[in-house]
Amino acid sequence: MEEPSKLAANQPLAVTPVEPVLPMSEIQGIVVPGFFKPHQTLLGIVCGEKPERLEQFKRLLLELSKEISTASQTLNDRREFRASRMSKAKKPKINRTLIALALSYSGLKKLTLSADAIPSNAFRQGMAARSTFLGDPTDPKNEGSPLNWKVGGHASPVDALIVVAGDARSGVDHTAERLARRLTKAGLNIVYRENGDVRSDDPGHEHFGFDDGISQPGIRGRATDAPDDFITPRHIAAAQHPEHSLFGYPGQDLVWPGVLLLGHSVTSPDPLIPGTELPAVPDWTRNGSFLVFRRLRQDVRLFWRTMNREAQRLSALPGFAGMTAEKLASRIVGRWKSGAPVNRVPAADDPTLGSQPLASNHFRFDSDATVLPLNSGYVDPFPQSKADPAGTTCPWAAHIRKVNTRDSGTDTGGRDSTYIRRLLRVGVPFGKSLKDPFSEEKDDPQKGNRGLLFLSIQSSIEDQFEFLMARWMGDSTRPKTPGGHDVLVGQNDTASERRIRKCVIFGSGLQQSTVATSAQWIIPTGGEYFFVPSLTALLQVIGSSA
Amino acid sequence: MALLNRYDPPAFLTDYNEIPGQLDAWHRAVSRWFDQSIGSERQKTKGPIQFYNAATFDPGGLLVEQAVTWNAFPKELIRRFGRDRALLLADTLWPVEAYETPRPEPNIPLKGDSAARYRPQEEYCEWHVLRDPDSNKIQRVTFTSEPPEYWMALYGSFPSDTDTNGQPFPGSHDVLLRLYRDLVNPGVQLEDLLTTMEIRTKSGKTIKAKQYNIRNKWNTTHGIVHLTAPPNFLTAEIQLGADASVHYLDPQGRVLVEPDALIAYAGYGGPNRNSDPTIGASVNALSRLGAYVTLQNPVGLYMDHIDLSGWFAPDGKGVSDCTRIMRGTPGMIERLVVEVPENRGFSVGEITINGVPILFGGQIAECITVKLIGLANVLPEADKIVAIPAQPQTISSVDPLYPSLVNGGIPPGAVQAFVGEGAAEGSFVGKRRVVQSSLFKASKPSPPRRILSRRWK
Repeated sequence: MEEPSKLAANQPLAVTPVEPVLPMSEIQGIVVPGFFKPHQTLLGIVCGEKPERLEQFKRLLLELSKEISTASQTLNDRREFRASRMSKAKKPKINRTLIALALSYSGLKKLTLSADAIPSNAFRQGMAARSTFLGDPTDPKNEGSPLNWKVGGHASPVDALIVVAGDARSGVDHTAERLARRLTKAGLNIVYRENGDVRSDDPGHEHFGFDDGISQPGIRGRATDAPDDFITPRHIAAAQHPEHSLFGYPGQDLVWPGVLLLGHSVTSPDPLIPGTELPAVPDWTRNGSFLVFRRLRQDVRLFWRTMNREAQRLSALPGFAGMTAEKLASRIVGRWKSGAPVNRVPAADDPTLGSQPLASNHFRFDSDATVLPLNSGYVDPFPQSKADPAGTTCPWAAHIRKVNTRDSGTDTGGRDSTYIRRLLRVGVPFGKSLKDPFSEEKDDPQKGNRGLLFLSIQSSIEDQFEFLMARWMGDSTRPKTPGGHDVLVGQNDTASERRIRKCVIFGSGLQQSTVATSAQWIIPTGGEYFFVPSLTALLQVIGSSA
Repeated sequence: MALLNRYDPPAFLTDYNEIPGQLDAWHRAVSRWFDQSIGSERQKTKGPIQFYNAATFDPGGLLVEQAVTWNAFPKELIRRFGRDRALLLADTLWPVEAYETPRPEPNIPLKGDSAARYRPQEEYCEWHVLRDPDSNKIQRVTFTSEPPEYWMALYGSFPSDTDTNGQPFPGSHDVLLRLYRDLVNPGVQLEDLLTTMEIRTKSGKTIKAKQYNIRNKWNTTHGIVHLTAPPNFLTAEIQLGADASVHYLDPQGRVLVEPDALIAYAGYGGPNRNSDPTIGASVNALSRLGAYVTLQNPVGLYMDHIDLSGWFAPDGKGVSDCTRIMRGTPGMIERLVVEVPENRGFSVGEITINGVPILFGGQIAECITVKLIGLANVLPEADKIVAIPAQPQTISSVDPLYPSLVNGGIPPGAVQAFVGEGAAEGSFVGKRRVVQSSLFKASKPSPPRRILSRRWK
């Protein structure tokens, strides 16, 4: 019998795991590495039930498969973009578009009987049927009820979603128009079409004014056999620090591919060691993923009026003197508007920190953070975050702390219990900015029609997106208590609580107060769950007439 | 000087009130358990022990109440078997003998002839499912977080004198029997609740015959009154708090801070549970800041609430009347029943959660949050904190299905885990630590003694 090996006398300081080579020509680029272009157009399609229509749809899918952006193409595009940004030489503006295709259960079922074999209840039921679990309003008079959704609701189902993303609005329009003509020619109905664009007046910021998308998981994996050809770039100096294998950017968790991709290794308690490789069911879903789409209208006036009113109320309480709307909002979010994390700069925003990707995501909650040596030689000059296990600096109910507890435990275990919940967010805002959030409604030419075309990628709708929405953001005691609800994005559907969300925040001297509101400043106005197939699945199963 | 006059029974339950001397005996026992756990830490380190017995000591400073919550569905089962099979297995009873094996299974060949069974629900919350014998649909699911010690004390003595240091509880067989009859079945007889023969446990304890049997049939096969799983004891909760208050170093001499690395190296609790890693991490994070920690009175384990999001009744009329707190109070629930009132004409098994009918008790457990409540004493300046090396041979060998602790070397096919990345820079050994966190900025030099209770309900 083999003897167990003895521990080495000098144990290694850190382990660099061998990361798998991912099939980059198989996986759609919206999944790996994701679409992060400033402009998008979404096309929602419905196909008729007649056999000839379905045949046309299948033929179109086979043709479109040649245009769908693969992971390989998307990664190359991303690398070129980064290189051109670093280079000081004047280069022509890049104007590429990327395309992704995803199918809802209703659409997939029309094309292949094996859609029923996909075990995800959420996918099969669709978002509208599960919206009460997400906390969405049920009152038919409420704009957020699925009865009133513009897309994906009970009255407006969608079979497929095409995402066109690009560097310039003109390029995206051109591609979208071209696709739309082909779809129409193939007898498909385009039931939804909407543009999303980063705000020209505040690029990278969502409509409440906050820098959005700073914290994303980085997928572990390599694009080729080369040992260092990582899909997610590594920034922490390898030879100097044991944490180099944990993060891409400082604070960017590296997750095993199974968190985002079906049929790959999931997380284990040790983030450097892959977990089980779960089988993809059915087999052809391997290298696919799930896309969650939520059309979220944002009532910017309501948000800032509420922040203002609450800040004024708080400022009269001991420990909260000088509270402002900006500061209160930073506690609700967990970051200042610039993206600077509150537990690095609790007193005031620091836009330089917020705009520095090598610093803006580097912080911990349960213990002090330290400066990490980086490959670029950059030295993080900003104050490091201090241990805040009790949520006195960054409240437990702050949005960023609700959806990612980092080094704290959660109600389902240690650090890995937050790793498995991560989402890759690939959506963009829609609608023109509201210049003055304190202006009157009648002065808003958009009539409030602005918000976020929320798109997320995850391998499990139930265990990731829905869990975060319902179990953590929408629950006042999870993942930590007594933090409260995620007042920013959460919804409270507890029958007796009249949709009031509340959270605890701390002032100076450990004074605490509660912020409570039923103000509905994020309104779901559409959405659906989609499956993002691999190229092989599209060609051999979904688009196949065999 | 002490912080607390007396330890009360869990959830301030009143069963002991009519038994002369019982409340005092309970207080003495809980106090002793705290002292025993603190004593066990004394053997690990000469530094200050930051876990304390509130009935004998008051560290001073500002008090902050801190609840730690976790999900009731056993994560160990999900990790090992996947959710579908875990739901099935969680509703079954396993032989106690199986628990002693490295990977407990319900169908292991048994060496002894003990019929003792336990519920493999190791998150300090257990449930019993009652089904319709014809349709097999669930009629009722009863949840409990009551510790076995409470009921052992109600009988009047503990199986082993070492549990009480030779001081038995007065107990009352009448009260015990009356409660069993009220909670489970009017036909319960006293002899049903007792051991029939002497039992020698693996840890060397002898349980005499005619002692209270925590795994009697009315608490296992025929119903539920309190917890039965081997780790689900009040003493385990207290010991966990004590163990987690100590600071540990990884083999490179750096202080362990990550929840999973901490529990793996320190060897307390079960690393695959929802409960232990987060309890340990919460306690350790506070003690790393220099706080003194203990458990809030009444010491116990509680269900905080049940989340009914996504629950649908077939008649469309809501489900708020389908749950009842039988013992305890909201936020401090000891016994919870999920059952549909008879006049509504359908059963629990016909309620859906997100469109899926309730086929297993575990689906409801997934909606339940369990908790303990701790206290942290915030002091203006931390004492010298001494971190101890984790035992070098105690490492976490990570099998993706079931991470486990090993001693003495890495078994074939396993890998050493948490090499270096679970720890923080530097070491606290020998250094006086001045705490920087805003947690310690008190508004006055000598803050008034008050407990910050952050429950708004």
